[in-house]
Amino acid sequence: MPRYGIAIDTTRCIGCHSCRVACQNQQGLDYNQAFNWIAELNRGSAAAFDKEFFPHQCNHCENAPCQRVCPTGAIYTSPEGVVLVHRHRCIGCKYCIQACPYKVRFIDEHEGISIKCWLCIDLVRAGGTPACVTTCPTQVRIFGDLDDPTSVISRFIARNRAEPLRPDLNTRPKIFYKRS
Amino acid sequence: MHENPWGWLIVLYLFLAGAGAGAFIAAAAAQLLAPDWSKALARAGSIASGPLVILGTLFLVLDLEAGLWQPWRQIYMLSNPQSMITWGVVMLALFIPITLLYAAGLHEFTFVGRFAKRHLNFLGGVGSFLAAGVAGYTGVLIAVVNGVPFWNTPVMPTLFMASAMSTGLAVAMVGAAIIDIDTIRTLSNLALGHIIFLITEGVVLMLFVFMSLTRSTEAAASAMTLISGGLAPYFWGIVVILGILIPLTLSVVEYWEHGEMPKYLVVGADLLILFGGFSLRALIIFSGGPPNIV
Repeated sequence: MPRYGIAIDTTRCIGCHSCRVACQNQQGLDYNQAFNWIAELNRGSAAAFDKEFFPHQCNHCENAPCQRVCPTGAIYTSPEGVVLVHRHRCIGCKYCIQACPYKVRFIDEHEGISIKCWLCIDLVRAGGTPACVTTCPTQVRIFGDLDDPTSVISRFIARNRAEPLRPDLNTRPKIFYKRS
Repeated sequence: MHENPWGWLIVLYLFLAGAGAGAFIAAAAAQLLAPDWSKALARAGSIASGPLVILGTLFLVLDLEAGLWQPWRQIYMLSNPQSMITWGVVMLALFIPITLLYAAGLHEFTFVGRFAKRHLNFLGGVGSFLAAGVAGYTGVLIAVVNGVPFWNTPVMPTLFMASAMSTGLAVAMVGAAIIDIDTIRTLSNLALGHIIFLITEGVVLMLFVFMSLTRSTEAAASAMTLISGGLAPYFWGIVVILGILIPLTLSVVEYWEHGEMPKYLVVGADLLILFGGFSLRALIIFSGGPPNIV
C-alpha cells in the first residue's frame, strides 16, 4: 500500500490561488470555506525585500493530534495514510480544531461536522492526483508515494532536503516543504 | 482563517464542572470531618454540586454541532480511550448520579435518601475521588491539546484543580449562608480553607504565567496578552485583585476575627472568588493562540 504525501516548492508559487479554487470546486465548498490556503509572508524592508507565498493545508500527520483527541473515533487514517473524517460519527465538539497545530480544520455549517482536506482520495484511488496538484500552473505541488524511493516526490524531498512543518511537534506530517 | 472554536459555553462548562466538583469535595469533607458545626455547609455543598455539574454538561452538549442535531451520535463519545472527552464523559456519567445520591442521603429524601444515608461515607469517598477527577479533567482536557501551546503544560490541570477547590468552597459557603445566615460565624474556621486554596491558586497561577513566558514563543505571546496585552485589565483587575487578593485579605481577617465580620463581606468574598474563577477560565480559553507553523 502506498503512503501518499505532497511536496510543496514555495519558491515556485506565484500566489494565484488556483489550488484553493480548484479544491473548492472539486469538493463543492462554499466561497468562504477552503481546504487549502496561501499565506503571504513578507520579510525584510525596502532594499532587501522578500515575499514568500506559502500554500498550506492538512498535513495528514502520521501521529495526528486530531485523531488522538477525537472522542467519537470519527477521525481515522486510511490505509494510504490519509487522515479522514467519518461524517456520520462526528458530533462537532471542535476538540480536533483545537488540537490541530496547523489549524486547517473548520466546522461545516451545513452538516455540523468538522471537515478538512482529504487529499481527494476518491480521485487518487481512481488513478488521478488531488485537484490542487493537477491545477497548479507552476507545478508547486508534487504528489506521490513517500514509501517508493524512486518516485518523483521521494527524489524531490531527498534532493532539496524538503522538511515538514514544525517537526518538533512530533506530528510527523506528510506534506513536505522546499522553502528556499 | 483561524478563530477560537470554543466560546462562552465551554468557559461556562469548565467553570461549573470545577465549582460543582469542588462543592462536593467541600461538602464531603465537612460532613466527614466536622459534621456538628458545618452541617449547613455540607447540606448546601451537596445540593449545589449535582445541578451545577449537570448545568455545565448541558452547556457542553449545547456547544456540539451535529451531535446536538442528531443526539444519538453522542453514544460514539465512548469509543476513543485516547481522547480526554471520552474519559470526561465516563467520569461525568459516574459522578452525577453519586452526587445526587449523596445529596439525597444527607437530606434523607424519600426511600432513596434513606438507602443512601446508610452508605453516606462510601458515597462521599467515591464521590470525592470522582470529583477530583472531574475537576482535574477540565484542566487535562485543554492541557493535552498541542494545537495551543499556552495550554499544553501539566501546570494547567493543577491550576484548574486549585481554582475548582476554592470556587467549590465558595459555592458551598454561599449556599450555607442562604440556608442559614447565622451559620456564617461558625464557618469562620473554614476561612482557613479559603486561605489555603487561594494561596495555592495564586502560586500556581504565578508559576503558570512565569513558565509560559519561557516555554515557547507562542506560549509567551499568550502569556503576554494576559499580563500586559489586551486582556491585562481583566487579568489583573478581575482574576488577580478581585478574584484572589481581596477575598484572600477578607478570609484572613475573617479567620483572625473568628467571624466577627459583617455578613455581607463574608458572602461578598465568596462571590468574588466565583467571579474570579469564572474569569480565569475565560481568560485562559480566549488567550490561547495557535503554534506558529511557518
